[in-house]
Amino acid sequence: MRTPIAYYLLLSGILFALGTIGVLTRKNALLIFMSVELQLNAVNLTLVAFARLHNDLTGQVLAFFSMVVAAAEVVVGLGIIVAIYRRRRTVDVDDARELRW
Amino acid sequence: MVGELVPATTTSGALGLLWLIPALPLAGAAINLFFGKRLGKPAGVLGSLTVLASFALAALAVRDLLALPAEQRLVLQHLFDWISVGRFHVGADLRLDALSATMILVVTGVGSLIHIYANGYMAGDPRFGRFFAYMNLFVFFMLMLVLGANYLVLYLGWEGVGLCSYLLIGFWFENKENAEAAKKAFITTRIGDTLMLVGLALIVAKFGSLDFEVVFGHAGSVLTKDTATVIALLLFAGAIGKSAQIPLHVWLPDAMAGPTPVSALIHAATMVTAGVYLVVRSHVLFELSGVALTVVLVVGLVTAIFAATCALGQNDIKRVLAYSTISQLGFMFMAVGMRAYTAAMFFLVVHAFYKALMFLGAGSVMHGTHDETDMREMGGLRRTMPITFVTFLVGAAAQAGIPPLAGFFAKDELLEIANHTHRNGVYVLGLVAAFLSALYVGRMVFLTFFREPRSARAERAHESPPVMWIPLAILAAGAVTVGWLNVKAEGRLAAFLESVAGRVPGDAGLAPLTLSAIAVALAVAALVLAWWVYGSGKVDWQAFTEGFEPLPTTLRNGWYVDHAYDVVVIQPAKEVAWLAAHVVDAKWIDGLVNAIGGGVKRLAQGGRLIQTGFVRSYALILFVGAVGILAYVGFRL
Repeated sequence: MRTPIAYYLLLSGILFALGTIGVLTRKNALLIFMSVELQLNAVNLTLVAFARLHNDLTGQVLAFFSMVVAAAEVVVGLGIIVAIYRRRRTVDVDDARELRW
Repeated sequence: MVGELVPATTTSGALGLLWLIPALPLAGAAINLFFGKRLGKPAGVLGSLTVLASFALAALAVRDLLALPAEQRLVLQHLFDWISVGRFHVGADLRLDALSATMILVVTGVGSLIHIYANGYMAGDPRFGRFFAYMNLFVFFMLMLVLGANYLVLYLGWEGVGLCSYLLIGFWFENKENAEAAKKAFITTRIGDTLMLVGLALIVAKFGSLDFEVVFGHAGSVLTKDTATVIALLLFAGAIGKSAQIPLHVWLPDAMAGPTPVSALIHAATMVTAGVYLVVRSHVLFELSGVALTVVLVVGLVTAIFAATCALGQNDIKRVLAYSTISQLGFMFMAVGMRAYTAAMFFLVVHAFYKALMFLGAGSVMHGTHDETDMREMGGLRRTMPITFVTFLVGAAAQAGIPPLAGFFAKDELLEIANHTHRNGVYVLGLVAAFLSALYVGRMVFLTFFREPRSARAERAHESPPVMWIPLAILAAGAVTVGWLNVKAEGRLAAFLESVAGRVPGDAGLAPLTLSAIAVALAVAALVLAWWVYGSGKVDWQAFTEGFEPLPTTLRNGWYVDHAYDVVVIQPAKEVAWLAAHVVDAKWIDGLVNAIGGGVKRLAQGGRLIQTGFVRSYALILFVGAVGILAYVGFRL
């Protein structure tokens, strides 16, 4: 008996909404970053779910790609956050606004 | 008509080494350019030797050429393929025939004497080596010009001699006037050169080749009369620039800013005669047109008289000679215009001797009087500079047309042809020009060498060293003897050139002896007149000249042609340039660019306010945007 696709999509939607709320409300760069990862994984989940529904591996392959890219992105993103912390002793994104104008 | 020439098959000996004739001066130029400074005085020796060796080789080659049967006196030498595009081929080809043989002997012969002379004249100059590098380079290009077997090689030489002329006129470029004279010469001749290039392009379009053999061989069947006229006139425009004919003559008097050996070599004996050579070489095209020949005749005639009057008004000895050269070149073009190519070439050879002689003589005078060029400050130099005086006198008499000197034969032949072809107007005007020539030459000689010195410099004058007067003596001997090469139209030079230039048409007019008598009588009359005014001491020549004002001032300024060009061409051009710079560029173009820049800046001024710097607000916008797009897509579905 297969789990209906709707459950997966519901779970994915909840995860994505949580991520989005996190991104929009948090001030700590690290937490924003984690929320972004949450959104990413919500999308990965839909990819895998649809791949299973259609019996097509393309979705799973794409999920792997997305994970690899996410890993690379984490490296860069964390690097930037560490650099910002070293310089300012805080990772509050509202503080880092010198580059505007 | 010219008979068909068959290229000689045997190209051994000196004929096989044809390429070496221009290569030697090129090598000299390269060595002197890179090592001239370190070489010091031997740079001049090297420069002279390369040209001298080139002369020896040329003489051998011409001797071998003469040994061939008359209808085989043509040697073609293919060096390498220069341009090869589709069916269009241009080779770096050399061509030795009677015409180029005559030219290379003049170029290397007179050239080597002038090089030797320059060893003395340029002694002590800080750029001694570079001077000889340029001179050698000039000889190379001049030889390429006359030896080329197609118009492209000719054009290479043509532009090359123009470049060397520029470099040498402006040799003492520290003086602003010299640098400007160099620029003027370059730009003025460039007007003619550009038209000539258009002519060459037309030849390519019509013939698909630039080779002399192809062009002249097929001209009759390929070209219509009108096309031939256009091509011939475009080529003649190049000749007008290079040979300083009206209306592009203005650069030559100013070109006297260069060292005197340069004036002698480039602006009297060789480069300026390239125009005559070009027209003689292309005479097939000019004859096809007919109209073009008339244009050549008229331009030559007008220039001959015009420049002679200018020469009469000059006080600077070199400027007299410059205008004299322009006038004599006009004579040559007159001869060409009457289809008397042999007479033109004969005139060219003879002129090279006596005009180089007079220029070097003038240089010797300047050398002896510490760079005095104003004839009013000279006088009495016949006692202090006897050798220069005698040789200069020979050159002057040769130009005036006193028999049996060379100039007499050349001028006499020209006038005789004019008379015998029933061009009576040309004949009479030619006589006028000849009379004026004798008059200004007489004025120059009497002012410079006779009476008493009129300045301290002239009093302290001294004779030049042997390295300078020996070439003068050789050239003087030449000016006496070369006339015998071609006594009347049946002479040896005429017979030699017949294979290329054909025979002079014409039947009979006055008896040759009568014509000679008229010409000589006029020349003597002019000299006596010059002596009476400037040499006898019975007339105060300064007051005498002033009596004719404003004519002498007008003549001294060359009929204000320069001023006219200034008003008609140069000032309007400057106005347009000012307009382009300060209105079109500064206001319009810069204005447009600045307006675009300013607009973007103002736009950004407003747009930057959106960038708050709050990462979370960006994320919110991103989110709202994504939702918006999704909503749009959802409603569409």
